[in-house]
Amino acid sequence: MNLVIEKPYLPSQRYKRAVTYLLVFLLVVVGLCGYFGFDPRLFITDFHYLAELMGEMTPPNFEVLWRKEKVFSSILQTISMAFLGTLIGGTLAMGLAFLAAGNTSPHPAVRAVVRTGLSIERGIPNLVIILVFLIAVGLGPFAGMLSLVVGTVGVFGKLFADAIEGTDGDPAEAVYAVGATKWQVIQFGIIPQVLPSFIANLFYAFDINLRAAIGLGVFGGAGIGYEIHMAMKLTRYQDGLALIFFTIVLISLFEKVSDYLRRQAIGQDVLK
Amino acid sequence: MDYARYQRKKTIRKIWVVAGLGFAAYWAAVSCKVDFSALRRGLPKGIEFLGFMFPPDLAALAELVNPALETVLLAFLATVFGAILSFFFALAAASNVSPPWLRNASRFLLATERSLPEIILLLLLISALGLGPFPGVIAMSIGCIGMLGRLFGDAIEEINPATLESIQSVGANRWQVIRYGVVPQVLPSLIINTIFRFEVNIRLSVLLGAVGAGGIGYELFYAFRLLEYQRATSAILVILALVFLSEKLSGLLRKKVAPEIKLR
Amino acid sequence: MIEARNITKSTKEGVPILKGISFKVEKGEFVGILGPSGAGKTLTMRCLNGLTQPTTGEVVFTDHRNHAINLTRSQGKELRRARQQIGVIFQGFNLVKRLSAIDNVLIGQLGNINWLRSLFYGFTDREALLALETLEKVKVAHLAHRTVGSLSGGEMQRVAIARAMYQQPAIMLADEPIANLDPSNARKIMQLLKPLAEEMPIIGVFHQPEIITEFCTRIIAIKDGRVVRDGGNGLTRAEMLDIYGAEWSEMEAHRPRETPPTENPLHQAPSAPGRGLRPLPA
Ligand SMILES: Nc1ncnc2c1ncn2[C@@H]1O[C@H](COP(=O)(O)OP(=O)(O)OP(=O)(O)O)[C@@H](O)[C@H]1O
Ligand SMILES: [Mg+2]
Repeated sequence: MNLVIEKPYLPSQRYKRAVTYLLVFLLVVVGLCGYFGFDPRLFITDFHYLAELMGEMTPPNFEVLWRKEKVFSSILQTISMAFLGTLIGGTLAMGLAFLAAGNTSPHPAVRAVVRTGLSIERGIPNLVIILVFLIAVGLGPFAGMLSLVVGTVGVFGKLFADAIEGTDGDPAEAVYAVGATKWQVIQFGIIPQVLPSFIANLFYAFDINLRAAIGLGVFGGAGIGYEIHMAMKLTRYQDGLALIFFTIVLISLFEKVSDYLRRQAIGQDVLK
Repeated sequence: MDYARYQRKKTIRKIWVVAGLGFAAYWAAVSCKVDFSALRRGLPKGIEFLGFMFPPDLAALAELVNPALETVLLAFLATVFGAILSFFFALAAASNVSPPWLRNASRFLLATERSLPEIILLLLLISALGLGPFPGVIAMSIGCIGMLGRLFGDAIEEINPATLESIQSVGANRWQVIRYGVVPQVLPSLIINTIFRFEVNIRLSVLLGAVGAGGIGYELFYAFRLLEYQRATSAILVILALVFLSEKLSGLLRKKVAPEIKLR
Repeated sequence: MIEARNITKSTKEGVPILKGISFKVEKGEFVGILGPSGAGKTLTMRCLNGLTQPTTGEVVFTDHRNHAINLTRSQGKELRRARQQIGVIFQGFNLVKRLSAIDNVLIGQLGNINWLRSLFYGFTDREALLALETLEKVKVAHLAHRTVGSLSGGEMQRVAIARAMYQQPAIMLADEPIANLDPSNARKIMQLLKPLAEEMPIIGVFHQPEIITEFCTRIIAIKDGRVVRDGGNGLTRAEMLDIYGAEWSEMEAHRPRETPPTENPLHQAPSAPGRGLRPLPA
């Protein structure tokens, strides 16, 4: 018996194919870089600027954290923005989710409208939302908080609606069977099933919103993000580094805390 | 009765939680300068403003094609660089490939990276390198490493160590074990997560663009600044199209590359 | 060829598992190792190719060129060179599931080819053809381009054997190569290994005494981390009792009588479920 390997499986053919793909890919990347005047070599030639900045940033001036009252309040602002954004946005998301889930929605038309609304909302970039709120309510943490609300509703409204649609029908039917109204069915048949995952996801939402709040602060003129922005702009680099360190610690800390609280609140991991 | 006591305890706990949340919300509202009258006054302003935004400036659409492509390119380059680098970080962060000290160091670095929002990184890089797409790409690549590095690392740790050992047993060295034991086992999951990250990077690159990385985000931000609201609407439309297309594209690619693998 | 000199192995907590194992295997031998579960058979095999370092004692391997390598002392390049010459079939195969069967076979030569080439280019057409021929020897050439994850247990087993054969080792270690196989497939695999044993010594762990007595030239029994029997083919009742304990005789007493074994494997009646022990002469 003579054994042969069909052409596409021959190692030489496979490598020819791989090299072709790789070359095409590289060509595309290089072409795009050239077209936009983007020179990756800059990373090497300009690296000393980064090193210089690092030099200017050290040692971090941690005094700024307690010397300036404004820094402290801006930290509180950032946390508050994230907290309220999650609380209000999460509550709205839960309410809308019941309208958007097939098994709890009062009417299929309502479901379709709410779902479409949510998906459009998710599509709008954060940047647009914050710019619109800045025009409506002016610079400040309030605008940032409102855009976090909108973002949270978009993402978690859909997630929650999917969770409600994914519930087990049996408990709900059992509640129906004893002659309950639709409200009672939702209260006793569905909410107990989805509540743990809702709570877990809200903790997760807070983690996301805290990061987003820092970013939005740069545009909204509030919070620790804005402080970092200003410190860098005014070339107070040592203050900037201290604030950046602090941000990292803050986020890691809140991640741990929200992890702990989540375990306390629901016992086990049911995230997503 | 025990049950009654249990119920009472539960109710008391609930009251505490609600009271705590309310208290926190109150002070958060104070600190956030929540002002619903401002919102009420602002809403008509916002609606009026929406009127200014229509109709979109269709003539500007043609001018916005290039910035849009630039945004896509930034996201693409950042995804490519970030994914390649994060593979090496992931190798260092996987307990079945690297020694404990290296694993811990790498995991710590990745966690730190994840705690640093890309926009702050960008501010930092802009101070050093000036405005332009270059700091944007670096900031996004680093952000990429934080997320993908950990995902890839977890994926690598899921590989059965016995498989790696069996490759060692034919006398292969560390790099050969990685090439033939690790890479084929994790490649589908790497590709899928990278594609997903591209989607995230498109949105991110719009945001970073506004801070100074250029592209469509920058156009949008300046259209607002210069009160050219109709042009801003066009930019928004372009962004929506970008986001929508990138979602569709990544969904398609994902199904094609590895239909059986779920996103993590 | 390979010699274990009084190897012992304890866990991190200091619990002894191997308590002094010594044997020497020469060319032409087909050694069958048996012993109750948890006796330390797998651990012994791991010490034999340096995947586990014994706590005390040493393993000395003599390669093709009569070059003695102390596996317990060597590291890095030297260890890798020794491993290249020791083929291993693992309990549970441990193949790369997402690679095709032929790629898994090709992996067998990784220790032999230039490693930079293997990283950036891979294998040559000639090597692929050789690998395919090896797959043909174990009758699975038609599965060459299937991913291993989609193969059946018996098919994976053959691919694992092909990999070890393609490695062209000086000695082969096989840890339960016929576990999880039905009796007829188990025999087919043994018939593949038997002629191979003339080229290179094979040390295999088997749980079926009747298979060992039929195919192996020498039987080593390990119990509780010690060699309790080392000798030629043929096991007596007393020896089996000694190795497996009282439970074995009980199990045997409850076994349905089966047709006496015949020389022709095709006439072999399908054996009863379970380990398939056949009554042995007293
Ligand atoms: N890394 C380890 N740490 C602790 N104990 C171990 C370790 N590896 C093996 N053991 C123990 O050593 C003993 C012998 O294990 P081994 O795998 O060699 O058994 P075996 O004879 O191959 O059994 P089987 O027939 O079930 O495969 C077992 O009790 C096992 O639990
Ligand atoms: Mg074993």
